[in-house]
Amino acid sequence: MSESSMTRPPTAAAHHTSLGVDNRKLGVWTFIGSETMFFATLITTYFVFAPVNRARPDFQDPRKFLDIELTTVLASILLASSLTMVLALSASRRGDRRSFTTWLLATVGLGLAFIGGQVYEFNHLYHEGLTLSSSLFGTTFFVLTGFHGAHVAVGVIWLLSVFFKVRAYPDSPENAMDVEIAGLYWHFVDLVWVAIFVLVYLI
Amino acid sequence: MAGHSEEHSAHAHPSDRFYWIVAGVLAVVTALEIGLFIVNEQHLIAKWLEVTLLLILSTIKGAAVVMFFMHLKGDAGIFKFVFLVPLAFATTLLLSFMVLFSDHVGIAG
Repeated sequence: MSESSMTRPPTAAAHHTSLGVDNRKLGVWTFIGSETMFFATLITTYFVFAPVNRARPDFQDPRKFLDIELTTVLASILLASSLTMVLALSASRRGDRRSFTTWLLATVGLGLAFIGGQVYEFNHLYHEGLTLSSSLFGTTFFVLTGFHGAHVAVGVIWLLSVFFKVRAYPDSPENAMDVEIAGLYWHFVDLVWVAIFVLVYLI
Repeated sequence: MAGHSEEHSAHAHPSDRFYWIVAGVLAVVTALEIGLFIVNEQHLIAKWLEVTLLLILSTIKGAAVVMFFMHLKGDAGIFKFVFLVPLAFATTLLLSFMVLFSDHVGIAG
């Protein structure tokens, strides 16, 4: 093995499928498809149990608990992180290491800010009397938003691992694909919040 | 075939300026959503109209993220298939259960 092949990653051609696409990217899109079903199930459960929650003696009114100001900030943070993520991908394709580092770490920072905001929200709701077992609203709300928060946490870990793997040569086809598929997951997490923000907090 | 696919995705990369414009549109749509929510706290418009408008706005946001940030627009058809089919199934699931149980207080109660 030559010195250059030890330091530079292999080309992405090794991952091509008979369909003519990268098998890792196909795998992530398939995973995102399954995750779409997963979150649709949780959102459906939230709505199916909403009238049941209203009819029970332990009814808790979502409008009295949910803080639209904080949630708007969280939604803005995730939307901004989608922008920084796609700018990181663009920089990696150009081979602009400095911009790549800036935008990817900004994405990680925004992800951590979102998690921090959600921890604050959960802590606030807990002290207001809304818990996982206080009512059907509490159960369905915390399961849905908690799973989303867990996905954000996984995304932050994924982005950091990609950053440390590809930072030396972000523009190689192999590494650019690593950034792209991590970005796909990150944008999906943002996409789920677009749905949760409207369906749970605004409607 | 592989070469064709790579070539196909290679010329589908927009400029950074385009991404900033998309993000600006997303910010405006989010502001409209919040504005609509605040307006309807005074019950100025019918609830069904508020819900319809919010769903349209969020669909615009979601479509923009998928098409431009996730680059599904112009990407290989197999990616569209493995994402859009489950999305259609998920939407059908949500709507079906809403129709069946939206006023049903007996389920698991």
